[in-house]
Amino acid sequence: MGSLTGRLFVEMLREEWRVHTTLFRGERFSLFPVLLTLLTASAAFGIAWTGTDPAFVLAGAFALVFAFGLHTGSIGLIGRDELSNLLGEQTRLVFSARTLPISPRRLLAVFVASDVVFYALMFLAPIALGLTPVVRLTGVTGVALVAAVGWLWLLLLVTFAFGLGVTIATIGLAQRGRVGIALAVVVGVALAAGTVAVVTDLIAVDLIAADPVAYTPYGLFREPTLGGLVVTSGALAGVSLLAARLFDVRHRRPTRRADPAFRRWNRRIGEPITTKTLLDVHRSAGGFGAVVFSVAILFVVTVGLVDLAGRITGVAPSTAIAFGAVLGLSAFTTYNWLTQYDDIETYHSQPVSVAQVFAAKQRAFVLLGPAVALVFYALAVGWQSAPLGEAVVGVLVLIGTSGYIFGVTIYLAGLSPTEFLFDTALFALFGLAMILALVPILVIAFTFAPVSPGALVALGGWSVGLAAIGIAGYRRSIPRWTARYRRR
Amino acid sequence: MSVIDLSTLQKTYGDSPAVDGLSLTVDEGELFGLLGPNGAGKTTTLEICTGQLTPDGGSARVCGVDPVAEPTRVREKLGILPEKESPPSFLTPREYFQFVGRVRDLSDERVDAQTDAWADRLGFRAQLDTRSSDLSRGQQQKVMLAAAFLHEPSVVVIDEPLANLDPIVQEQVKAFLRDYRAAGNTIVITTHDVDVAAELCSRVVIMHEGRIVADCRPAELGEETLLSVFLDRVGRGEAGGDGLDGAAAGDTAANRSPSPTEE
Repeated sequence: MGSLTGRLFVEMLREEWRVHTTLFRGERFSLFPVLLTLLTASAAFGIAWTGTDPAFVLAGAFALVFAFGLHTGSIGLIGRDELSNLLGEQTRLVFSARTLPISPRRLLAVFVASDVVFYALMFLAPIALGLTPVVRLTGVTGVALVAAVGWLWLLLLVTFAFGLGVTIATIGLAQRGRVGIALAVVVGVALAAGTVAVVTDLIAVDLIAADPVAYTPYGLFREPTLGGLVVTSGALAGVSLLAARLFDVRHRRPTRRADPAFRRWNRRIGEPITTKTLLDVHRSAGGFGAVVFSVAILFVVTVGLVDLAGRITGVAPSTAIAFGAVLGLSAFTTYNWLTQYDDIETYHSQPVSVAQVFAAKQRAFVLLGPAVALVFYALAVGWQSAPLGEAVVGVLVLIGTSGYIFGVTIYLAGLSPTEFLFDTALFALFGLAMILALVPILVIAFTFAPVSPGALVALGGWSVGLAAIGIAGYRRSIPRWTARYRRR
Repeated sequence: MSVIDLSTLQKTYGDSPAVDGLSLTVDEGELFGLLGPNGAGKTTTLEICTGQLTPDGGSARVCGVDPVAEPTRVREKLGILPEKESPPSFLTPREYFQFVGRVRDLSDERVDAQTDAWADRLGFRAQLDTRSSDLSRGQQQKVMLAAAFLHEPSVVVIDEPLANLDPIVQEQVKAFLRDYRAAGNTIVITTHDVDVAAELCSRVVIMHEGRIVADCRPAELGEETLLSVFLDRVGRGEAGGDGLDGAAAGDTAANRSPSPTEE
């Protein structure tokens, strides 16, 4: 059985590679680690350069990797709808207990091990390498720097595996019906509340007689202690055992029914493909909440940026312009949600052209995207009592950048924006297009506040120009993708 | 009168030709079968006919329309069941029919009547309000089949109509297809199942490696069977023999059978 496990491990690793190369435009995916290293290095160094404590940057990296572990477990094990929408009908080896003479638990264990190794090599190693300049800023140099980066990689791996384990254990609980779901929610809320309390210093350190952070992988990186090592190893072993105990590979989701809503929605929306698109988002995991959540993340990031910039420069940036520009970026995530659940082949049996599908996506985008972003924009402008002129131009900036990003994305990626994220060449092109459009706006927002009337007029004109480019990109995308989809 | 007219169609994927100089016509009122082993080029041919694919060479006319130039107009005229396609994951079968009805500009009353008729015919009434992603593969096939006929088209193109269906439903579908043809409509199917083609089709074209290797009417084969023709032609192709250009060459009953255009 030992060699069988080994064989299975190799095949699952190969499967993971093929899933990613299929998802992300073939062999160009092999360049992804290089791109990830460069992106991590530039982002981390950029943040540290603004004066942010390098320790804070590293703690943020650990938090992101933990979130990544949580997310990876959910996609691999329950995101089968999403995967089949992206890849077509497919089955992973982990679900083959009915046809292979291997126990479901062994399949799960090998799957998790292969997943951890794959992500350790393709994602975590580049992230650790990319963080080298920040580790250096903590005063480590020479051979010690190499050892520190290796140690960082190992601890990021532990963090990722811990996140993966938490998700699998949570799914295992949820498989046990309402009681399990309720228990998972209670534990999740308690853990989240505890984390927030610790991070925001709500719990006095002397109350628990120790710094809880010292017992996390990040704490171990900051200052290795025997206690930290024991607690971290114990937590990882505990969550792994719990996951193995709770998760049932053979579990089948109960059949889901839905009240007929298509006609009711279509009467209001007036176009069937738009209606279908919005119903898809509504019924997907997370529903419209996923769109709101994506915008909320940008909102929180902007709050942090505005606050940080104010503290570093001593001059409060233009809230309206900064929020308008950054919230405009939500156009990309919103378009992602709108295209996640179908592709052009969905419509091949019907008299529907590529132009009609694109028009429907555009309509759904207009109905959903700017509305959510504008709500958060209004919150920000109200919070900071932005001057009226800046508030009005900020709206123009938000709509202009949204339209621009929508047009550029649909032109470059058609109906598959997730795939192109991992296509190195296209991603670089997209990044360049974003930098050219957004940097001038952000420079004015962060360094020339309060914005002069002349600059406001220029920003208004720039936003209208961006919107016009977006519209042109959308129009050009129709013949481009009509030909591409039919050439194959 | 022909409803499908293909002339020297050519389509290549990489280095391998999927369709290699294919010419054929399908006449009104036929239940026409494209028979062939996996990879013979059947699905590619149908994808060109329905405007999903642009051929590398040759020409096509379907219901008097060029599917390359006017794919949407061709799809307006046809009922189509593509290979592998399933109903949208988050819509229920009832909602999917309503979606198709809106796209094809059918009245709500007509869609509801068709929904009821198909749910009863293929036995999926209990699943009408279940999310399509939670249906079995066979149930999804039933829904896609019903959607192809929802607007009662005079020409229907179906890729593997009986795939994933249980034997009872297969018989019901076969009976329906025969009745539908008897009402004067044209049906084009692809299949790799010789028995299905022999039992169901008024005319069968056998494809192998992108070419037509036989064109026959199963009812007129005499001593030969469709299986023997299939084994002879496809086996010969496998052994390196040349394919035939349409029905122009050959010396078996299969190729002597006149095509409807010659009648």
